[in-house]
Amino acid sequence: MLTFAFRKLLTLVGTMIGIAALTFFITNVAPGDPARLVAGPNATEDMVATIRTEYGLDKSLPEQFIVYMGDLVRGDLGTSIVTTRPVLEEVMRYAPATLELVFVAMFLGIVIGVPLGMLSAVYKDGPLDQVTRIFSISGVAIPAFWFGILLQLLFSVDLEWLPVSGRLPLVTRPPEFVTGLLLVDSLIAGNFSTFWTSLQHIILPAIVLSFPCLASILRVNRAEMIEVLQSDYIVAARAHGISSFRIVALYALKNAMLPTLAMIGLRFGWMLGSTVLVETVFDWPGIGLYAVSSALSSDFKPVVGVTLMIGFFFIVANTLVDLAYAWIDPRLRKA
Amino acid sequence: MTALLDIKNYRLDIGTFDGPVHVLKGINLTVNRGDTVGIVGESGSGKTVLVRSVLGIGPRNAKVVEGSIFFDGQDITNLPEKDWTKIRGIRISMIFQDPMTYLNPLFTVGRQISDVIAAHEKAAGQGISSKAARRTRTEDLLDQVGLPNPSMLFSQYPHQLSGGMRQRILIAMALAGKPDILIADEPTTALDVTVQAQVLDLINSLVEKLNLTVIMISHDIGAIATVAKRCAVMYKGEIVEQGLTQDILNHPQHEYTQRLLAAVPDIDIAPEKVAAEATAAKPSKPGHLLEAIDLKKVYRSQSGADFTAVNSLSLSVKTGEIFGVVGESGSGKSTLARMLMRLIEPTSGDIIFDGQNISGLSGEPLRKMRRHMQFVFQNPHSALNGRHTIGDAIGEPLRIQTNMSRRDIEARAEALLDIVQLPKMFKYRYPHELSGGQKQRVCIARAIALNPRLLILDEPTSALDISVQAQVLDFLQELRSELNLTYVFISHNLAVIRQICDRTIVMKSGEIVEQGDTEQIFMAPREDYTKALIESGRKTSQAANLQA
Repeated sequence: MLTFAFRKLLTLVGTMIGIAALTFFITNVAPGDPARLVAGPNATEDMVATIRTEYGLDKSLPEQFIVYMGDLVRGDLGTSIVTTRPVLEEVMRYAPATLELVFVAMFLGIVIGVPLGMLSAVYKDGPLDQVTRIFSISGVAIPAFWFGILLQLLFSVDLEWLPVSGRLPLVTRPPEFVTGLLLVDSLIAGNFSTFWTSLQHIILPAIVLSFPCLASILRVNRAEMIEVLQSDYIVAARAHGISSFRIVALYALKNAMLPTLAMIGLRFGWMLGSTVLVETVFDWPGIGLYAVSSALSSDFKPVVGVTLMIGFFFIVANTLVDLAYAWIDPRLRKA
Repeated sequence: MTALLDIKNYRLDIGTFDGPVHVLKGINLTVNRGDTVGIVGESGSGKTVLVRSVLGIGPRNAKVVEGSIFFDGQDITNLPEKDWTKIRGIRISMIFQDPMTYLNPLFTVGRQISDVIAAHEKAAGQGISSKAARRTRTEDLLDQVGLPNPSMLFSQYPHQLSGGMRQRILIAMALAGKPDILIADEPTTALDVTVQAQVLDLINSLVEKLNLTVIMISHDIGAIATVAKRCAVMYKGEIVEQGLTQDILNHPQHEYTQRLLAAVPDIDIAPEKVAAEATAAKPSKPGHLLEAIDLKKVYRSQSGADFTAVNSLSLSVKTGEIFGVVGESGSGKSTLARMLMRLIEPTSGDIIFDGQNISGLSGEPLRKMRRHMQFVFQNPHSALNGRHTIGDAIGEPLRIQTNMSRRDIEARAEALLDIVQLPKMFKYRYPHELSGGQKQRVCIARAIALNPRLLILDEPTSALDISVQAQVLDFLQELRSELNLTYVFISHNLAVIRQICDRTIVMKSGEIVEQGDTEQIFMAPREDYTKALIESGRKTSQAANLQA
């Protein structure tokens, strides 16, 4: 098991290098002279040349690549042109908001999706199965921004139950920075009213983000459960007198969890990528919003930084899924 | 004394898309305490549905139309689910056919057995005992079914164990509740001959020791005869005959039973070789059609340990003969068969087909060569694509290997169906509409579509019922003389090998233990392993054939 984990970690590093190389390649094939872009429309040739030397753009591509990778290893993602602050610092500032949103959305997706999928399989073709079927089809089909606006109109504007946007009201002082996740930090600080307020803020965007994810987890889990419940060892377990609840919730679910986990891993990455829309609708100060505003002002270093960040979290999530696989299925541990 | 189990005029329908199917048609069966009852019948005869109904785990859409099942005086026909917990696994328990698929792959052996124990304690309302107590009890059970080193086994997973060990574990689970009745559903079908004999011995010893009542179902009348004193023969949802097993074997009354018994190949009877005359008649090209020289296959696992599936094996197959390969599972026979066709790449060694070394071929020449050698797989159910019609399946090699027009291919497919004695109209059907024997004929038709010279048959009858097996074997022999074919015939069933093979090799752990004329091997085996193999095969074969 340990060698397995170690091997997975090595793969993680390898993939990370691959992503870094890919982002470098893409930024370099993109049309346009970055030096001219940085210098601005009214710059003279001299100024452009100075900037080219300053940014190391006059060197050959392999040289630039080595410099770029060296910077990455030292955690230097470059500097934002707009804010003139290091990209790493900014990404670290915005990342917790996005992660918090994704974690809550993932949590909702799993705790609702898995049991509903399970129940839909047990009562296949029953009323609940029909309802969840419609529910999950709409989950995948409805565009996030539209669904988000709909929820805002209903819960924030009409019913006035929940705030429209943001992480916290302007007047509320955020809890002391520990993890950057407001829900966690407020609990650490023992400040329950802030916890409650941030919960109220996060609930709508989290629902919007989790909806398609929940739907696909539900469907995969359902399909897998149906398959597993027909398998021989379930018949055997029944014949041996194991209770139906235990059979479904333990024997069958553990087997059905494998493909569900794969879906969770994929959806995690998908969520990180699609927070952009949700963050825009809910004015959520995360890396999605940061990437969009940087891209709009032709500020490419932050875009690359965010891409690397999302890539990193995606790989970590999938490595965790792989480890969970081996933890669940003894047959995989040897590999 | 009331009967322990009394099934009275039991009729059961299963709802399908096309309306109800009458699966059980008025079953009457009485089992007294201490009885050993066998139910024999071919697949689809309803025997599994019948015994599963006794445990209330029949198919979901089943409906009892008439009749009832009494267990120990209690009517259990339509027992509500919660009342079953006091019966299932405790008073009636069951063991199954394929011990791999009937054990949960993600839980340790110990966990699975102690869970059963806990469930029983809960059902009895006595409170669940401690983990340690359950572990002791589990290890006792493992010991009882003759498994070595129970404490180590406790924390192992099913995939780490052999087929025979898994079946013993299933038996241990079934014994956990000290049941009155043990139902054994084809307990030996998926096992090797030597292991079969061991498992049957174990069941017999448990009957004696624990005073068990056993209901065993099987399509193998030999296995039934070794365990059951009484026997019922099921055919198309009815019990057509029941009585003492001896009587039924000696004087089968029903026409179906007679047919069934006649179809059982006898390991101790030398066949009147239809084959011999065929070989004598047309040695069109004497000499060797296929030779393997020093063939070796080594699998390397990720942990770096090598596993040698086939080790420096040489053989030569004469033109026109049926060359038998016999051995237990894991002996490397399937690897060998697949290597001969280069479906698996040999690690080293040469394969000479018709004078040409094919081990170096690749791409187009290899593809061309393959039309002369075809493969028939063990399980016809999975060897046919369920979404292709039979006509498509048979026509496929023609489409790949020839430039024949659609119409010609269709005509050829019809002709092939004719050769394998199936109606022409079958080309419009889908595999699920055919029986197992018919499907295997389709697979054979597909294999001979290109007029190959060699057929490699990998356990072609193992997935089939005995009566169907006899038909397919006869048919294969006919076909050989008709088309002048050479067969490599792989089987674990010694009686079948003896019936049809001219020469045979016996394989163990990737090597040839013994080889020679089939009759010679059976009459005077030289090696101990061969003797042991024949002896285990004889056990069930004799039981079925001695009296008959």
